[in-house]
Amino acid sequence: MSELILKTEKLTKVYNMGKRKVTAISGLDLQISKGEFVAIMGPSGSGKTTLLNVLGCLDKPTGGTLLLDKVNVSELHEKKLCEIRRNKIGFVFQTFNLLPYLNAKENVELPMECTKRSKSEREKRARELLAMVGLSGREEHRPQKLSAGEQQRVAIARALANDPAIVLADEPTGNLDSQNKYEIVRLLGNLNITKGTTIVMVTHDSQIASQSERVLLLSDGKIMKEKQGLHLVKKKLMCPYCGSRIQLSDVRCPSCRKRL
Amino acid sequence: MGKRFTLTWDKFGSNSEKLFNRSRIFGQFKRIWIVKDVGALRRAAKNFSRRKMRGLMVIIALGFSMAIMISIPAGIMANQEATQHLTENFNSTITSMQEEINKTATLIECRTSGRSMSSGMPMGMPPFGQEERFINETVIADIASMDGIKDIVRFLEQSSEETTSETISEPGGRTFTISRPLYTIMGVSLNSSLISGYSILPANITAGRNLCDGDSRVLIMSSNLSDYLGLQVGDKIEVYGESFTVVGICEVSRQGRMETRVVYMSIFDAQTITGNSGNVSRLDIYAEDVSDVDVIADYIEAVYPELYVTTYQDRLESLSSMQTMYSTTLENAESTLAQTQSLATQEIIVVIAATSLIILFVMLYTVRERTREIGTLKALGFSNWNIMSQFMLEGILISLVAGVAGIAIGSLGAPFLSSLLLPHVSLFGGSSSGGFRPGFGSTNPVVIGSETAAATLSLPLVLLAFGAAVLLGALGSLYPAWRAAKIKPAEAMRYE
Ligand SMILES: Nc1ncnc2c1ncn2[C@@H]1O[C@H](COP(=O)(O)OP(=O)(O)OP(=O)(O)O)[C@@H](O)[C@H]1O
Ligand SMILES: [Mg+2]
Repeated sequence: MSELILKTEKLTKVYNMGKRKVTAISGLDLQISKGEFVAIMGPSGSGKTTLLNVLGCLDKPTGGTLLLDKVNVSELHEKKLCEIRRNKIGFVFQTFNLLPYLNAKENVELPMECTKRSKSEREKRARELLAMVGLSGREEHRPQKLSAGEQQRVAIARALANDPAIVLADEPTGNLDSQNKYEIVRLLGNLNITKGTTIVMVTHDSQIASQSERVLLLSDGKIMKEKQGLHLVKKKLMCPYCGSRIQLSDVRCPSCRKRL
Repeated sequence: MGKRFTLTWDKFGSNSEKLFNRSRIFGQFKRIWIVKDVGALRRAAKNFSRRKMRGLMVIIALGFSMAIMISIPAGIMANQEATQHLTENFNSTITSMQEEINKTATLIECRTSGRSMSSGMPMGMPPFGQEERFINETVIADIASMDGIKDIVRFLEQSSEETTSETISEPGGRTFTISRPLYTIMGVSLNSSLISGYSILPANITAGRNLCDGDSRVLIMSSNLSDYLGLQVGDKIEVYGESFTVVGICEVSRQGRMETRVVYMSIFDAQTITGNSGNVSRLDIYAEDVSDVDVIADYIEAVYPELYVTTYQDRLESLSSMQTMYSTTLENAESTLAQTQSLATQEIIVVIAATSLIILFVMLYTVRERTREIGTLKALGFSNWNIMSQFMLEGILISLVAGVAGIAIGSLGAPFLSSLLLPHVSLFGGSSSGGFRPGFGSTNPVVIGSETAAATLSLPLVLLAFGAAVLLGALGSLYPAWRAAKIKPAEAMRYE
């Protein structure tokens, strides 16, 4: 087994709503290795978003430990957490959350603004990242000029800006039509294969979830079930349905014509 | 693929830790202020221009309060200047009068009426229905026979036949119409030794020549009269039915709020044309010595009680009463100025509070509206300080733009705004006396009404306004920016 990038032990998150306490995560144990592509599924209110926020240091757990790259994050202060968010984590949201008054390139540059990179380096990298998600030529376009799928691509490029150790995506396909859904999940899968980026993706859609290599089923703040996805086979550049060789650029399997 | 990954990983390892520590002090500062805030500034500017209508309204509202903020000191400064100007005016008037009085220590003035052209308005008396009196040659001969008299200079002052009606406006805004003679005829002795010895003729000839011994049927006139009549040197003019040639134009000092129009001619001509042979209306009697003045004056007052006699002593007294009047006036001016200043201070405090409140609410609204954006920025690794400085910068930017608008509004509207907000500086403690006219001898009196102080913007004031804009922007956005920085990212992402 390869190196662990993320490990939780008895992770708990309890919200205090006045007298009533809402346990969003209750004693959750989870291990994710470097280079994994994990999907989290579960009914509404099962704690998926809460888990992702805690894993991404946007929220603090109320109990248990969280080791992010062997650093015990649950003990760190806000200032350190902010540095971890900046350097180790990339967020992708259901609603894209691009800044509407900045163009695609400027949005991608945002996370690099607090780093040592020079302005020209930042611009160069933003162009590269946009090209990687298939948006070269659209650098100067503002979000309202881009389709939903294109906006999510910009958001993915932005999440990758500081070369994060892990990308956390909360329902990245939730606001997209089926055509765009598959394109986005394929993009994430390809990034996982080519760049080795660790990806944790929350989704309601079992079709989308099955495109990952490990699917976790969350219920009442605990992991109830775990199963393998199709991505594991795809990583060996084989069609998960018929086993024939495929290329990363293939949208459909050349032999069985199934959507990849 | 693996290689790249390891390389990336090392960034977070021991290597980067060392680097980070070394650059902590310099780097942190540089990162926050230089590298980061260029982007923050650009974002602030973009954000500002995003909501054009709202931005415009905020700018106008802020611009007005900024304009008020700079107009009030401008108004105060103008009032101070006016008061200072007044003081200087007073002082120079008093000084020149003093000099004049000292020069004519031996002069005894005798008049047939209490007021004359040279003592201000109204001129060209006598009032209707009152017999006009003169000093005749018998009286002159009697006075001349006294000991200690050096010279006697005769004057005959008469009104022109023509009259004009004029509209006068008081500083308080009232206007009224008066009818007065078109000009005053001054008949003067053209004896060459008297002309050279005393200041009988006007000193300020602007065209042609002055009068001289032996002149007849010629006159010089004040420039205001020549302008009024459209006459030049060499032209003819009819006075009491007789033809005169204009040989010179002189400048007369302004007296009162109406200018005196005057012609100077030989006293014989004046006596002849007005049918007053042997009559004079004023005598300037020069004593041999200052010690003789009292004796001569006492004698004239005793023997000719109908004559108005003024001596050096009288003039000194009137000067000192004038000084008293001046100083009361100045005290009044200064006390109203002090009141104005305290009112201005209050007003400025109110405006500053209002300005920072506007910024406060606008920025609070912005922060609320952009909660999700703040959450996103935090998720992307922006620190609390980054967020805070971003919003502070926006607040300062708004108030700076408002400062420019304020200076624009203020430079056009400063006089209006300051007169709207500050009491009119009255020099007479509120009594609308319409100003007083210190009149004495032939010195030039100043017109003292309520000085109108026009507020104008100066460069230091404009710089001050920009300083205030930055300060108020920072002040007003401090709390909203702090609120923004304190937003919890997880909750911000839930916020709709
Ligand atoms: N800030 C909060 N305060 C109180 N309760 C909260 C808060 N955030 C989440 N919860 C509660 O925690 C539980 C888990 O919420 P969470 O948003 O993680 O669910 P989810 O699995 O993401 O649901 P969905 O699929 O609808 O997005 C819910 O019962 C929710 O009401
Ligand atoms: Mg959710």
